[in-house]
Amino acid sequence: MTHSLTVDRALVVISFKRRLAYKSHWFFGLAIGGGSMLIAMVMWQNLIGSGTLSGYDWDSMRAYTIIGFVAATMVFGAADWVMADRILDGHIAVDLTKPVDFQRARAAEYIGSMLSTFPTAVMGVVAAWLLFEPPGPASPLAGLLTLVSFALMFPLAFGLTYLSTLVCFWTKRYMGIMWLREALLSFFSGLMIPLAFMPGWLQAVAWALPFPHFTTTPSAIYLGRVDTLGALGLLAAEAAWAVGLWALGWLVFRTAVKKVTVHGG
Amino acid sequence: MTLKRGVPARHALAVYWRTWFAQIRSIVEYPADLWVMASAGAVWNILQFAFLAVLFANVPDVAGWGYHEMLMLSGLLSVAGGCNALFWDGAWSTGSMVIKGDIDYRITRPAPVIIQVGSSHIGMQSIGEVVFGAAMLVYGWIGAGIGLAAVPIGVLAVVCAGIIQSALVTALCAVNFWIKGQASIFAFLLIELQGNAMKMPLGIFPSGVRLVAMFLVPVAFVNFVPVSVVTGHMPAWWLAGVPAAVLGSVLLAVGVYRLGLRAYDSAGH
Repeated sequence: MTHSLTVDRALVVISFKRRLAYKSHWFFGLAIGGGSMLIAMVMWQNLIGSGTLSGYDWDSMRAYTIIGFVAATMVFGAADWVMADRILDGHIAVDLTKPVDFQRARAAEYIGSMLSTFPTAVMGVVAAWLLFEPPGPASPLAGLLTLVSFALMFPLAFGLTYLSTLVCFWTKRYMGIMWLREALLSFFSGLMIPLAFMPGWLQAVAWALPFPHFTTTPSAIYLGRVDTLGALGLLAAEAAWAVGLWALGWLVFRTAVKKVTVHGG
Repeated sequence: MTLKRGVPARHALAVYWRTWFAQIRSIVEYPADLWVMASAGAVWNILQFAFLAVLFANVPDVAGWGYHEMLMLSGLLSVAGGCNALFWDGAWSTGSMVIKGDIDYRITRPAPVIIQVGSSHIGMQSIGEVVFGAAMLVYGWIGAGIGLAAVPIGVLAVVCAGIIQSALVTALCAVNFWIKGQASIFAFLLIELQGNAMKMPLGIFPSGVRLVAMFLVPVAFVNFVPVSVVTGHMPAWWLAGVPAAVLGSVLLAVGVYRLGLRAYDSAGH
Protein backbone atom coordinates (compact mmCIF):
# COMPACT_ATOMS: atom_id res chain seq x y z
CA MET A 1 0.00 0.00 0.00
CA THR A 2 1.42 3.38 -0.98
CA HIS A 3 1.57 6.30 1.37
CA SER A 4 -1.24 8.06 -0.49
CA LEU A 5 -3.59 5.13 -0.13
CA THR A 6 -2.83 4.97 3.59
CA VAL A 7 -3.69 8.66 3.87
CA ASP A 8 -6.87 8.13 1.86
CA ARG A 9 -7.94 5.26 4.09
CA ALA A 10 -7.18 7.26 7.24
CA LEU A 11 -9.24 10.20 5.98
CA VAL A 12 -12.15 7.90 5.07
CA VAL A 13 -12.09 6.33 8.54
CA ILE A 14 -11.79 9.68 10.39
CA SER A 15 -14.64 11.21 8.40
CA PHE A 16 -16.77 8.09 8.90
CA LYS A 17 -16.18 8.07 12.67
CA ARG A 18 -16.75 11.82 12.98
CA ARG A 19 -20.14 11.48 11.34
CA LEU A 20 -21.13 8.41 13.32
CA ALA A 21 -20.35 10.26 16.56
CA TYR A 22 -23.43 12.41 15.95
CA LYS A 23 -26.19 9.85 16.35
CA SER A 24 -28.84 12.54 15.95
CA HIS A 25 -27.84 12.66 12.24
CA TRP A 26 -29.23 9.13 11.86
CA PHE A 27 -32.56 10.07 13.31
CA PHE A 28 -32.63 13.33 11.42
CA GLY A 29 -31.75 11.69 8.08
CA LEU A 30 -34.34 8.99 8.67
CA ALA A 31 -37.04 11.48 9.67
CA ILE A 32 -36.49 13.71 6.64
CA GLY A 33 -35.74 10.98 4.09
CA GLY A 34 -38.35 8.58 5.48
CA GLY A 35 -40.95 11.36 5.73
CA SER A 36 -40.33 12.43 2.13
CA MET A 37 -40.52 8.79 1.00
CA LEU A 38 -43.86 8.27 2.78
CA ILE A 39 -45.27 11.46 1.24
CA ALA A 40 -44.15 10.33 -2.23
CA MET A 41 -45.70 6.88 -1.63
CA VAL A 42 -49.03 8.41 -0.65
CA MET A 43 -49.02 10.71 -3.69
CA TRP A 44 -48.20 7.98 -6.20
CA GLN A 45 -50.63 5.51 -4.66
CA ASN A 46 -53.33 8.14 -5.01
CA LEU A 47 -52.39 8.93 -8.61
CA ILE A 48 -51.65 5.47 -9.97
CA GLY A 49 -54.19 3.36 -8.08
CA SER A 50 -54.57 0.12 -9.97
CA GLY A 51 -53.55 1.60 -13.35
CA THR A 52 -50.26 2.72 -14.85
CA LEU A 53 -48.66 6.11 -15.53
CA SER A 54 -45.88 6.46 -18.13
CA GLY A 55 -45.14 2.75 -17.77
CA TYR A 56 -45.08 2.73 -13.97
CA ASP A 57 -47.62 0.71 -12.02
CA TRP A 58 -47.95 0.85 -8.22
CA ASP A 59 -45.53 -2.08 -7.78
CA SER A 60 -42.74 -0.51 -9.81
CA MET A 61 -43.36 2.94 -8.34
CA ARG A 62 -42.89 1.55 -4.82
CA ALA A 63 -39.48 0.18 -5.80
CA TYR A 64 -38.65 3.44 -7.63
CA THR A 65 -39.49 5.55 -4.58
CA ILE A 66 -37.38 3.39 -2.25
CA ILE A 67 -34.40 3.57 -4.65
CA GLY A 68 -34.85 7.36 -4.72
CA PHE A 69 -34.83 7.40 -0.91
CA VAL A 70 -31.54 5.46 -0.74
CA ALA A 71 -29.91 7.74 -3.34
CA ALA A 72 -31.15 10.89 -1.57
CA THR A 73 -29.97 9.63 1.83
CA MET A 74 -26.50 8.93 0.46
CA VAL A 75 -26.11 12.16 -1.48
CA PHE A 76 -27.91 14.69 0.72
CA GLY A 77 -26.57 13.17 3.96
CA ALA A 78 -22.87 13.48 3.07
CA ALA A 79 -20.60 16.12 4.56
CA ASP A 80 -20.49 18.77 1.85
CA TRP A 81 -20.44 21.58 4.46
CA VAL A 82 -17.04 20.42 5.73
CA MET A 83 -15.55 20.95 2.27
CA ALA A 84 -17.22 24.33 1.80
CA ASP A 85 -16.27 25.55 5.28
CA ARG A 86 -12.58 24.81 4.67
CA ILE A 87 -12.68 27.27 1.80
CA LEU A 88 -14.89 29.84 3.54
CA ASP A 89 -13.10 29.93 6.91
CA GLY A 90 -9.60 29.82 5.42
CA HIS A 91 -8.55 26.35 6.58
CA ILE A 92 -7.69 25.66 2.98
CA ALA A 93 -4.49 27.71 3.53
CA VAL A 94 -3.34 25.02 5.98
CA ASP A 95 -4.47 22.24 3.60
CA LEU A 96 -2.35 23.69 0.82
CA THR A 97 0.79 23.34 2.97
CA LYS A 98 0.17 19.60 3.52
CA PRO A 99 1.82 16.98 1.29
CA VAL A 100 -1.62 15.69 0.35
CA ASP A 101 -3.56 16.33 -2.82
CA PHE A 102 -6.47 18.62 -1.81
CA GLN A 103 -9.06 17.08 -4.13
CA ARG A 104 -8.13 13.51 -3.27
CA ALA A 105 -8.17 14.24 0.46
CA ARG A 106 -11.63 15.85 0.22
CA ALA A 107 -12.82 12.87 -1.86
CA ALA A 108 -11.69 10.47 0.86
CA GLU A 109 -13.45 12.51 3.55
CA TYR A 110 -16.60 12.81 1.44
CA ILE A 111 -16.76 9.09 0.74
CA GLY A 112 -16.26 8.40 4.46
CA SER A 113 -19.22 10.65 5.21
CA MET A 114 -21.31 8.94 2.51
CA LEU A 115 -20.55 5.56 4.10
CA SER A 116 -21.83 6.93 7.40
CA THR A 117 -25.31 7.30 5.87
CA PHE A 118 -25.55 3.49 5.61
CA PRO A 119 -27.31 2.98 8.97
CA THR A 120 -29.98 5.53 7.97
CA ALA A 121 -30.38 4.04 4.49
CA VAL A 122 -30.55 0.46 5.82
CA MET A 123 -33.08 1.33 8.54
CA GLY A 124 -35.21 3.21 6.01
CA VAL A 125 -35.09 0.43 3.42
CA VAL A 126 -35.95 -2.29 5.97
CA ALA A 127 -38.90 -0.23 7.26
CA ALA A 128 -40.05 0.53 3.71
CA TRP A 129 -39.71 -3.15 2.75
CA LEU A 130 -41.85 -4.22 5.69
CA LEU A 131 -44.46 -1.51 5.05
CA PHE A 132 -44.70 -1.58 1.27
CA GLU A 133 -43.27 -4.92 0.09
CA PRO A 134 -41.79 -3.63 -3.18
CA PRO A 135 -41.00 -6.08 -5.99
CA GLY A 136 -37.49 -7.57 -6.23
CA PRO A 137 -35.05 -6.79 -9.08
CA ALA A 138 -36.01 -7.84 -12.61
CA SER A 139 -33.23 -10.48 -12.51
CA PRO A 140 -30.25 -11.34 -10.27
CA LEU A 141 -27.97 -9.63 -12.84
CA ALA A 142 -30.16 -6.52 -12.73
CA GLY A 143 -29.84 -6.53 -8.93
CA LEU A 144 -26.05 -6.79 -9.20
CA LEU A 145 -25.82 -4.00 -11.78
CA THR A 146 -28.04 -1.81 -9.57
CA LEU A 147 -25.47 -2.21 -6.81
CA VAL A 148 -22.72 -1.21 -9.27
CA SER A 149 -24.75 1.88 -10.13
CA PHE A 150 -25.01 2.75 -6.42
CA ALA A 151 -21.24 2.23 -6.03
CA LEU A 152 -20.55 4.61 -8.93
CA MET A 153 -22.72 7.17 -7.18
CA PHE A 154 -19.90 7.73 -4.67
CA PRO A 155 -17.38 9.32 -7.09
CA LEU A 156 -20.20 10.94 -9.06
CA ALA A 157 -21.69 12.61 -5.99
CA PHE A 158 -18.25 13.76 -4.91
CA GLY A 159 -17.47 15.25 -8.33
CA LEU A 160 -20.70 17.21 -8.37
CA THR A 161 -20.44 18.35 -4.75
CA TYR A 162 -16.75 19.26 -5.03
CA LEU A 163 -17.39 21.41 -8.08
CA SER A 164 -20.23 23.21 -6.32
CA THR A 165 -18.19 23.83 -3.16
CA LEU A 166 -15.43 25.39 -5.27
CA VAL A 167 -17.88 28.21 -6.02
CA CYS A 168 -17.20 29.27 -2.40
CA PHE A 169 -13.94 30.76 -3.66
CA TRP A 170 -16.11 33.51 -5.16
CA THR A 171 -18.85 33.73 -2.52
CA LYS A 172 -19.02 34.26 1.24
CA ARG A 173 -21.70 31.66 1.95
CA TYR A 174 -22.45 28.12 0.81
CA MET A 175 -26.17 27.82 1.54
CA GLY A 176 -27.45 29.12 -1.81
CA ILE A 177 -25.05 26.98 -3.81
CA MET A 178 -26.17 23.90 -1.91
CA TRP A 179 -29.85 24.67 -2.51
CA LEU A 180 -29.23 25.27 -6.18
CA ARG A 181 -27.42 21.95 -6.54
CA GLU A 182 -30.03 20.03 -4.53
CA ALA A 183 -32.90 21.59 -6.46
CA LEU A 184 -31.38 20.65 -9.81
CA LEU A 185 -30.49 17.19 -8.55
CA SER A 186 -33.97 16.54 -7.14
CA PHE A 187 -35.67 17.48 -10.39
CA PHE A 188 -33.32 16.18 -13.08
CA SER A 189 -32.47 12.94 -11.26
CA GLY A 190 -36.11 11.91 -11.32
CA LEU A 191 -36.35 12.04 -7.54
CA MET A 192 -39.17 14.58 -7.65
CA ILE A 193 -40.93 13.00 -10.63
CA PRO A 194 -39.70 10.17 -12.92
CA LEU A 195 -38.04 11.37 -16.12
CA ALA A 196 -40.45 9.14 -18.10
CA PHE A 197 -43.23 11.60 -17.19
CA MET A 198 -41.37 14.49 -18.83
CA PRO A 199 -41.73 15.63 -22.45
CA GLY A 200 -39.01 14.43 -24.83
CA TRP A 201 -37.06 17.68 -24.91
CA LEU A 202 -36.89 17.88 -21.10
CA GLN A 203 -35.74 14.25 -20.91
CA ALA A 204 -33.00 15.10 -23.42
CA VAL A 205 -31.90 18.02 -21.23
CA ALA A 206 -31.87 15.74 -18.17
CA TRP A 207 -29.84 13.03 -19.90
CA ALA A 208 -27.30 15.61 -21.03
CA LEU A 209 -26.57 16.22 -17.32
CA PRO A 210 -25.06 13.91 -14.68
CA PHE A 211 -28.17 14.02 -12.46
CA PRO A 212 -30.27 11.09 -13.83
CA HIS A 213 -27.66 8.63 -12.54
CA PHE A 214 -28.75 9.38 -8.98
CA THR A 215 -32.21 7.79 -9.28
CA THR A 216 -33.25 7.03 -12.84
CA THR A 217 -30.25 4.85 -13.75
CA PRO A 218 -30.38 2.49 -10.72
CA SER A 219 -34.18 2.25 -10.84
CA ALA A 220 -34.26 1.62 -14.62
CA ILE A 221 -31.75 -1.22 -14.18
CA TYR A 222 -33.49 -2.64 -11.09
CA LEU A 223 -36.94 -2.64 -12.68
CA GLY A 224 -35.70 -4.05 -16.00
CA ARG A 225 -36.75 -0.95 -17.95
CA VAL A 226 -33.47 -1.38 -19.87
CA ASP A 227 -31.91 -4.66 -21.09
CA THR A 228 -28.42 -5.79 -20.04
CA LEU A 229 -26.72 -3.90 -22.87
CA GLY A 230 -28.68 -0.76 -22.01
CA ALA A 231 -27.79 -1.16 -18.35
CA LEU A 232 -24.08 -1.47 -19.19
CA GLY A 233 -24.39 1.65 -21.37
CA LEU A 234 -25.96 3.60 -18.48
CA LEU A 235 -23.22 2.43 -16.11
CA ALA A 236 -20.56 3.45 -18.66
CA ALA A 237 -22.15 6.91 -18.90
CA GLU A 238 -22.27 7.15 -15.11
CA ALA A 239 -18.57 6.20 -14.86
CA ALA A 240 -17.68 8.66 -17.63
CA TRP A 241 -19.44 11.47 -15.73
CA ALA A 242 -17.54 10.54 -12.56
CA VAL A 243 -14.21 10.76 -14.42
CA GLY A 244 -15.22 13.92 -16.30
CA LEU A 245 -16.36 15.73 -13.15
CA TRP A 246 -13.13 14.75 -11.39
CA ALA A 247 -11.10 16.27 -14.23
CA LEU A 248 -13.29 19.37 -14.30
CA GLY A 249 -12.90 19.74 -10.53
CA TRP A 250 -9.12 19.55 -10.92
CA LEU A 251 -9.16 22.24 -13.62
CA VAL A 252 -11.48 24.58 -11.71
CA PHE A 253 -9.45 24.19 -8.52
CA ARG A 254 -6.27 25.24 -10.34
CA THR A 255 -7.97 28.51 -11.30
CA ALA A 256 -9.93 29.00 -8.09
CA VAL A 257 -7.02 28.49 -5.70
CA LYS A 258 -5.37 31.62 -7.07
CA LYS A 259 -8.21 33.55 -5.44
CA VAL A 260 -7.37 32.42 -1.89
CA THR A 261 -7.44 35.42 0.41
CA VAL A 262 -7.62 34.35 4.04
CA HIS A 263 -9.01 37.00 6.35
CA GLY A 264 -8.18 39.70 3.83
CA GLY A 265 -4.50 38.74 3.51
CA MET B 1 -48.37 50.03 24.26
CA THR B 2 -45.23 48.82 25.97
CA LEU B 3 -43.42 45.50 25.90
CA LYS B 4 -41.64 43.76 28.75
CA ARG B 5 -39.44 45.97 30.97
CA GLY B 6 -41.00 49.14 29.64
CA VAL B 7 -39.72 48.93 26.06
CA PRO B 8 -42.28 50.76 23.90
CA ALA B 9 -43.57 48.72 20.95
CA ARG B 10 -42.73 51.64 18.63
CA HIS B 11 -39.13 51.56 19.79
CA ALA B 12 -38.94 47.79 19.28
CA LEU B 13 -40.32 48.20 15.77
CA ALA B 14 -37.80 50.96 15.02
CA VAL B 15 -34.98 48.70 16.22
CA TYR B 16 -36.28 45.95 13.96
CA TRP B 17 -36.35 48.12 10.83
CA ARG B 18 -32.97 49.74 11.51
CA THR B 19 -31.35 46.33 11.93
CA TRP B 20 -33.14 45.01 8.85
CA PHE B 21 -31.93 47.90 6.68
CA ALA B 22 -28.41 47.43 8.05
CA GLN B 23 -28.59 43.83 6.76
CA ILE B 24 -29.69 45.11 3.35
CA ARG B 25 -26.66 47.43 3.23
CA SER B 26 -24.42 44.52 4.16
CA ILE B 27 -25.93 42.27 1.46
CA VAL B 28 -25.26 44.65 -1.42
CA GLU B 29 -21.56 44.60 -0.47
CA TYR B 30 -21.39 40.96 -1.62
CA PRO B 31 -23.08 40.83 -5.04
CA ALA B 32 -21.91 37.26 -5.87
CA ASP B 33 -23.70 35.90 -2.79
CA LEU B 34 -26.77 37.95 -3.54
CA TRP B 35 -27.07 36.56 -7.05
CA VAL B 36 -26.28 32.95 -6.10
CA MET B 37 -28.86 32.98 -3.32
CA ALA B 38 -31.51 34.82 -5.34
CA SER B 39 -30.97 32.38 -8.23
CA ALA B 40 -31.26 29.41 -5.85
CA GLY B 41 -34.66 30.63 -4.67
CA ALA B 42 -35.78 31.34 -8.24
CA VAL B 43 -34.58 28.00 -9.68
CA TRP B 44 -36.22 26.07 -6.83
CA ASN B 45 -39.56 27.71 -7.63
CA ILE B 46 -39.20 27.30 -11.37
CA LEU B 47 -38.60 23.59 -10.78
CA GLN B 48 -41.70 23.39 -8.57
CA PHE B 49 -43.60 24.97 -11.46
CA ALA B 50 -42.02 22.43 -13.85
CA PHE B 51 -42.89 19.56 -11.49
CA LEU B 52 -46.56 20.50 -11.51
CA ALA B 53 -46.58 21.12 -15.27
CA VAL B 54 -45.04 17.67 -15.90
CA LEU B 55 -47.35 15.99 -13.39
CA PHE B 56 -50.49 17.50 -14.87
CA ALA B 57 -49.41 16.59 -18.38
CA ASN B 58 -49.90 13.01 -17.17
CA VAL B 59 -52.85 13.23 -14.77
CA PRO B 60 -56.06 15.30 -14.95
CA ASP B 61 -56.23 16.07 -11.20
CA VAL B 62 -54.84 15.15 -7.80
CA ALA B 63 -57.65 14.21 -5.39
CA GLY B 64 -59.97 16.62 -7.19
CA TRP B 65 -57.44 19.46 -7.36
CA GLY B 66 -56.54 20.90 -10.77
CA TYR B 67 -53.25 22.27 -12.09
CA HIS B 68 -53.93 25.93 -11.31
CA GLU B 69 -55.20 25.17 -7.80
CA MET B 70 -52.06 23.17 -7.07
CA LEU B 71 -49.96 26.05 -8.42
CA MET B 72 -51.64 28.30 -5.87
CA LEU B 73 -50.75 25.84 -3.09
CA SER B 74 -47.08 25.79 -4.10
CA GLY B 75 -46.99 29.53 -4.76
CA LEU B 76 -48.43 30.53 -1.39
CA LEU B 77 -46.11 28.11 0.41
CA SER B 78 -43.11 29.63 -1.38
CA VAL B 79 -44.20 33.18 -0.58
CA ALA B 80 -44.61 32.21 3.09
CA GLY B 81 -41.12 30.67 3.20
CA GLY B 82 -39.76 33.69 1.33
CA CYS B 83 -41.36 36.12 3.81
CA ASN B 84 -39.79 34.18 6.69
CA ALA B 85 -36.36 34.40 5.01
CA LEU B 86 -36.80 38.05 4.06
CA PHE B 87 -38.12 39.46 7.32
CA TRP B 88 -37.28 36.95 10.05
CA ASP B 89 -34.37 34.77 8.92
CA GLY B 90 -32.34 35.53 12.05
CA ALA B 91 -34.54 33.11 14.03
CA TRP B 92 -32.53 30.32 12.38
CA SER B 93 -29.39 31.64 14.16
CA THR B 94 -30.89 31.03 17.62
CA GLY B 95 -29.05 27.71 18.10
CA SER B 96 -25.69 29.11 17.09
CA MET B 97 -26.18 32.22 19.27
CA VAL B 98 -27.05 30.05 22.28
CA ILE B 99 -23.93 27.91 21.86
CA LYS B 100 -21.60 30.87 21.34
CA GLY B 101 -23.15 32.92 24.13
CA ASP B 102 -24.19 35.59 21.62
CA ILE B 103 -27.55 35.94 23.34
CA ASP B 104 -25.67 37.74 26.16
CA TYR B 105 -25.32 40.88 24.04
CA ARG B 106 -28.99 40.81 23.10
CA ILE B 107 -30.13 40.51 26.72
CA THR B 108 -28.23 43.64 27.73
CA ARG B 109 -29.66 45.81 24.95
CA PRO B 110 -32.88 47.81 25.44
CA ALA B 111 -34.99 45.91 22.88
CA PRO B 112 -36.78 42.54 22.96
CA VAL B 113 -34.30 39.69 22.35
CA ILE B 114 -36.63 37.96 19.88
CA ILE B 115 -36.77 41.14 17.74
CA GLN B 116 -32.99 41.47 17.74
CA VAL B 117 -32.44 37.83 16.82
CA GLY B 118 -35.19 37.72 14.18
CA SER B 119 -33.80 40.75 12.35
CA SER B 120 -30.16 39.67 12.56
CA HIS B 121 -30.09 38.08 9.12
CA ILE B 122 -31.80 38.15 5.75
CA GLY B 123 -31.97 35.00 3.60
CA MET B 124 -31.25 36.29 0.12
CA GLN B 125 -32.95 33.31 -1.51
CA SER B 126 -36.13 35.03 -0.39
CA ILE B 127 -35.97 37.36 -3.40
CA GLY B 128 -36.38 34.45 -5.79
CA GLU B 129 -38.88 32.71 -3.52
CA VAL B 130 -41.16 35.70 -3.09
CA VAL B 131 -41.05 36.83 -6.73
CA PHE B 132 -41.51 33.40 -8.34
CA GLY B 133 -43.84 32.16 -5.57
CA ALA B 134 -46.05 35.20 -6.14
CA ALA B 135 -45.89 34.59 -9.90
CA MET B 136 -47.11 31.01 -9.36
CA LEU B 137 -49.84 32.21 -7.03
CA VAL B 138 -51.09 34.87 -9.46
CA TYR B 139 -50.86 32.56 -12.49
CA GLY B 140 -52.76 29.86 -10.61
CA TRP B 141 -55.30 32.42 -9.36
CA ILE B 142 -56.05 33.64 -12.89
CA GLY B 143 -56.01 30.12 -14.34
CA ALA B 144 -58.40 28.82 -11.67
CA GLY B 145 -60.82 31.59 -12.62
CA ILE B 146 -60.91 33.28 -9.21
CA GLY B 147 -62.09 36.83 -9.66
CA LEU B 148 -60.83 40.15 -8.30
CA ALA B 149 -63.46 40.11 -5.55
CA ALA B 150 -61.41 37.54 -3.64
CA VAL B 151 -58.16 39.56 -3.86
CA PRO B 152 -58.51 40.97 -0.29
CA ILE B 153 -58.69 37.37 0.96
CA GLY B 154 -55.57 36.59 -1.06
CA VAL B 155 -53.68 39.55 0.44
CA LEU B 156 -54.77 38.56 3.94
CA ALA B 157 -53.72 34.96 3.23
CA VAL B 158 -50.23 36.07 2.12
CA VAL B 159 -49.70 38.25 5.21
CA CYS B 160 -50.99 35.56 7.58
CA ALA B 161 -48.97 32.82 5.81
CA GLY B 162 -45.75 34.78 6.33
CA ILE B 163 -46.52 35.36 10.01
CA ILE B 164 -47.56 31.75 10.77
CA GLN B 165 -44.52 30.38 8.96
CA SER B 166 -42.11 32.73 10.77
CA ALA B 167 -43.73 32.05 14.15
CA LEU B 168 -43.62 28.26 13.79
CA VAL B 169 -39.99 28.39 12.66
CA THR B 170 -39.16 30.65 15.63
CA ALA B 171 -40.87 28.34 18.13
CA LEU B 172 -38.99 25.31 16.78
CA CYS B 173 -35.65 27.18 16.58
CA ALA B 174 -36.14 28.15 20.24
CA VAL B 175 -35.98 24.44 21.13
CA ASN B 176 -32.21 24.96 20.78
CA PHE B 177 -32.25 26.78 24.14
CA TRP B 178 -32.62 23.31 25.68
CA ILE B 179 -31.35 20.92 22.99
CA LYS B 180 -28.07 22.60 22.14
CA GLY B 181 -26.76 22.51 18.59
CA GLN B 182 -25.68 24.76 15.73
CA ALA B 183 -28.44 23.51 13.44
CA SER B 184 -32.12 24.08 14.18
CA ILE B 185 -32.99 20.51 13.33
CA PHE B 186 -36.64 20.62 14.38
CA ALA B 187 -37.34 23.75 12.35
CA PHE B 188 -35.46 22.22 9.43
CA LEU B 189 -37.52 19.05 9.76
CA LEU B 190 -40.70 21.14 9.68
CA ILE B 191 -39.59 22.99 6.55
CA GLU B 192 -38.56 19.82 4.71
CA LEU B 193 -41.71 17.83 5.48
CA GLN B 194 -43.98 20.84 5.00
CA GLY B 195 -42.30 21.56 1.65
CA ASN B 196 -43.02 18.01 0.50
CA ALA B 197 -46.46 17.44 1.98
CA MET B 198 -48.19 20.82 1.88
CA LYS B 199 -47.80 21.33 -1.86
CA MET B 200 -50.26 18.43 -2.11
CA PRO B 201 -53.97 18.49 -1.22
CA LEU B 202 -54.28 17.48 2.42
CA GLY B 203 -57.08 15.06 1.51
CA ILE B 204 -54.66 12.48 0.09
CA PHE B 205 -53.07 11.94 3.51
CA PRO B 206 -54.37 9.75 6.37
CA SER B 207 -56.58 11.49 8.94
CA GLY B 208 -53.79 11.56 11.56
CA VAL B 209 -51.59 13.67 9.28
CA ARG B 210 -54.52 15.98 8.53
CA LEU B 211 -55.24 16.53 12.23
CA VAL B 212 -51.60 17.29 13.00
CA ALA B 213 -51.31 19.74 10.09
CA MET B 214 -54.56 21.50 11.03
CA PHE B 215 -54.47 21.67 14.81
CA LEU B 216 -51.15 20.57 16.31
CA VAL B 217 -48.61 22.25 14.01
CA PRO B 218 -51.00 24.43 12.01
CA VAL B 219 -49.07 24.41 8.73
CA ALA B 220 -52.34 23.79 6.86
CA PHE B 221 -53.34 27.40 7.61
CA VAL B 222 -50.23 28.68 5.81
CA ASN B 223 -51.44 27.64 2.36
CA PHE B 224 -53.93 24.77 2.28
CA VAL B 225 -56.89 26.34 4.13
CA PRO B 226 -56.86 29.76 2.39
CA VAL B 227 -56.39 28.20 -1.06
CA SER B 228 -59.13 25.64 -0.32
CA VAL B 229 -61.53 28.41 0.64
CA VAL B 230 -60.94 30.64 -2.40
CA THR B 231 -61.13 27.65 -4.75
CA GLY B 232 -64.31 26.34 -3.12
CA HIS B 233 -62.85 23.12 -1.69
CA MET B 234 -63.71 24.26 1.87
CA PRO B 235 -66.53 26.45 3.21
CA ALA B 236 -65.70 30.13 3.81
CA TRP B 237 -66.00 29.92 7.60
CA TRP B 238 -62.67 28.05 7.66
CA LEU B 239 -61.04 31.41 6.92
CA ALA B 240 -61.69 32.39 10.54
CA GLY B 241 -59.11 29.77 11.44
CA VAL B 242 -56.35 31.68 9.63
CA PRO B 243 -56.11 34.68 12.02
CA ALA B 244 -56.65 32.24 14.90
CA ALA B 245 -53.64 30.24 13.67
CA VAL B 246 -51.66 33.50 13.42
CA LEU B 247 -52.49 34.36 17.03
CA GLY B 248 -51.82 30.83 18.28
CA SER B 249 -48.49 30.44 16.49
CA VAL B 250 -47.24 33.92 17.51
CA LEU B 251 -48.18 33.29 21.16
CA LEU B 252 -46.46 29.90 20.93
CA ALA B 253 -43.28 31.44 19.49
CA VAL B 254 -43.15 34.25 22.08
CA GLY B 255 -43.94 31.82 24.90
CA VAL B 256 -41.32 29.24 23.94
CA TYR B 257 -38.73 31.98 23.37
CA ARG B 258 -39.39 33.52 26.78
CA LEU B 259 -39.10 30.15 28.48
CA GLY B 260 -35.93 29.52 26.50
CA LEU B 261 -34.42 32.81 27.65
CA ARG B 262 -35.16 31.85 31.25
CA ALA B 263 -33.33 28.55 30.71
CA TYR B 264 -30.42 30.28 28.91
CA ASP B 265 -27.19 30.09 30.90
CA SER B 266 -24.74 31.61 28.39
CA ALA B 267 -21.80 29.68 26.94
CA GLY B 268 -19.45 27.42 28.88
CA HIS B 269 -21.73 26.49 31.79
